[in-house]
Amino acid sequence: MVAVTDAGMMFGLIAVGAGLATGLAGIGAGVGEQGIGAAVVGVVAEEPGFLGKGLFLMLLPERLIIFGLAVSLILMFAWTPNFGIVP
Amino acid sequence: MLKPVKMSRVVVAGSKDVISPVVEKLHELRLLHIVNYNGSQPQFEMGKPIGKAKEHSEDLIKLRSVTRYLDLKNKAPDKTFSENQITSDMGNLINNVGADVTATYERITAIDAEIKTKQDQIKSLTPLAVLPLPLEAYYGYESLAVFVGTSATPVDADVARISPVNEIFTGSAKNATFVAVFVPVEKASEVSSALSEHGFSETSVPKLEGNVDAAIATLEGGIKSLEGEKAPLQKKLVDIKKQYEDQMLATDEYLSMQTHKTESPLRFAETANAFVIDGYVPADQFSRLKSELESAAGGKLEVQLLADKEAEDLVEKGEDIPSQMDNPSLVRPYELITRLFAIPEYKEFDPSLLIFVFFPIMFGMILGDIGYGIMILLILIGLKKKFRTPGWQQLINVVMIGSVWSIIFGVFFGEIFGPLGLWGRVMGQLSEHEIELAKEAGLYFGEGVFGALGRMGPLGIFPMDRLATNAVLLLIGTSIFIGVIHCSVGSILGILTELNYGEKKHAYFERLPVMLFQVFFCIALLGLIMGQSIMTYLGLIVVVVSVVMLVIGPEGPMGLAHVPSYISNLISYLRLLAIGLASVGLAYAANQLAFYVIMPMLSGGVENSAEFSILGIIVGIAVLFVVHFINLLLGILSPFMHPLRLHYVEMFTKFYSAHGGGVEYSPFGHVRRFLKA
Repeated sequence: MVAVTDAGMMFGLIAVGAGLATGLAGIGAGVGEQGIGAAVVGVVAEEPGFLGKGLFLMLLPERLIIFGLAVSLILMFAWTPNFGIVP
Repeated sequence: MLKPVKMSRVVVAGSKDVISPVVEKLHELRLLHIVNYNGSQPQFEMGKPIGKAKEHSEDLIKLRSVTRYLDLKNKAPDKTFSENQITSDMGNLINNVGADVTATYERITAIDAEIKTKQDQIKSLTPLAVLPLPLEAYYGYESLAVFVGTSATPVDADVARISPVNEIFTGSAKNATFVAVFVPVEKASEVSSALSEHGFSETSVPKLEGNVDAAIATLEGGIKSLEGEKAPLQKKLVDIKKQYEDQMLATDEYLSMQTHKTESPLRFAETANAFVIDGYVPADQFSRLKSELESAAGGKLEVQLLADKEAEDLVEKGEDIPSQMDNPSLVRPYELITRLFAIPEYKEFDPSLLIFVFFPIMFGMILGDIGYGIMILLILIGLKKKFRTPGWQQLINVVMIGSVWSIIFGVFFGEIFGPLGLWGRVMGQLSEHEIELAKEAGLYFGEGVFGALGRMGPLGIFPMDRLATNAVLLLIGTSIFIGVIHCSVGSILGILTELNYGEKKHAYFERLPVMLFQVFFCIALLGLIMGQSIMTYLGLIVVVVSVVMLVIGPEGPMGLAHVPSYISNLISYLRLLAIGLASVGLAYAANQLAFYVIMPMLSGGVENSAEFSILGIIVGIAVLFVVHFINLLLGILSPFMHPLRLHYVEMFTKFYSAHGGGVEYSPFGHVRRFLKA
């Protein structure tokens, strides 16, 4: 059995967690944006003046990625377990 | 600057005798934003067109059809014309040149149609070459029915069974069997259904004569001669386009102006002898409008300023006061970003100035690379000469100012096409010993060095390496700090806007708590990080107070539902750091790949850069070029889109466009482009 206290292993797991946090959040935001994006393109084709507001709506779900990213950053940089393994 | 230009509501009333000179003068002045008469008052009716409205619009329609044939596009003027030149040449241009263009264009269309027919005929003739019949044998019978086409299986037996009297010719082409079946007319329908069982599909035979090959040759000859006729006609159109392009666009402009003028009374109110124009004019231009109009009308006209009270009544009845954004020329490009979202309402703030302050800083902070900044600047200088329409010019200016900031941030971040530390082979690096010392003191911000310049800034943190841990933490703080300032400015404007609309409760219990919440939430966090418990408690107390204010406010307890979004607004500013990290990461990877993998690998594993082989250097540079090019494209797009979002979503929602967009001030008149003033 691999010792969980192994510092390198620990850091590796943290990195995997950080990657998953951003990556999965990105997928979620993408799914959210696809419907909005399609609708906005449709509206803009009819009414070009709507572009600004359409962009506004389309960019709303993007904050999800930023949440994931915030978690990743905390994992990678701000939260360091007491193993003395600051990268 | 932050507010649209102050407008005055005016009424122009005059005798119908002077309507033409007044319209002429108004058009020339380009000051009055006309409010269309809606026909609501029984004593006034809508005006009628004056002068040669009909002729002008007819000419315009003729001209537009000619410009469409010539495929003329709107473009920046190469030369300008006087109105006299245009009017004297107009008859010739529309009637002679126009008729010539139309005739030529129609001939080209006819030729195209003829060529198409001939090509179709050739297509249907080609397979017939396998049958041993001349073309005239296929048509012209009274007692015979003819079927020509492809069939999947032999048809002879079935046809013979139905009609003993028959003539069948069969020939096989590349991938189908061709048959020509001749039977008496009265058996036609039976034969047809029998044929369809064999997968027969009919081909139409063109009514031509002689041998198939000869007929195809004749048709091909015909196509060639038609094409020969078409080429000079097309060249003629191109020549005409080249010769008359600017003149036609100028004439178009002249005619548009004339129809605009002659049809303008449709927007006025009229009685039998007088007309009335309602409109808005920038307050400081009122006296000019008044004196110019009155002198043009020779005393038969009155220009009046409505009192504020009366004007407000009209606004309450649904009249929109037009807003004209008023910004110095440096800020004006940013009106594009404002306009893309909405025109500010008259009583609202015009956010262009704020965008001018924040947008380029955000752009620069994200991109933050001297090399990319200079590249973008050079590309844009080139594009600026090419795309000369106002919209493109504004967009280019916006990105240009951003790229200057990116060069400035590039100095702080120490990046030239990626972090400087990697280029240390050229620039010199910190020694191992110094790096260790810096790490021990917790002050290691990357190994970027400006050669002999050494390190700069407080604690010598510049140039920092954005990929180093300390730098990331510092930038997280900076991003959130920018976020707090950005949101607070938005909230302050929100409070002022609500006060402008006279909504005190909304101002103090909806907008103010948001600002308090965001600012003191961050102060509490900062206190937590710095270990200052007083700051933390103070921050938390104000946060609680602000939440209580929200609950008391107009939205009541429902206001609590917004609280998470106030936090997420701030977290959203982390993208300033995040997108930057992505871009610098890609650049770092490109450099690492080229200098530490490809070049040594292709040079037989040498470490020293002086021993790299020519092949290694060439491939390495090619890889560098491609990856950096992709990164540069992304480096224009993301630093543009993300600050745009931060403005639209995080900032504008706090004060802008809450009452729906405004109406842009568009004065009656025309900006001359191809015409001389």
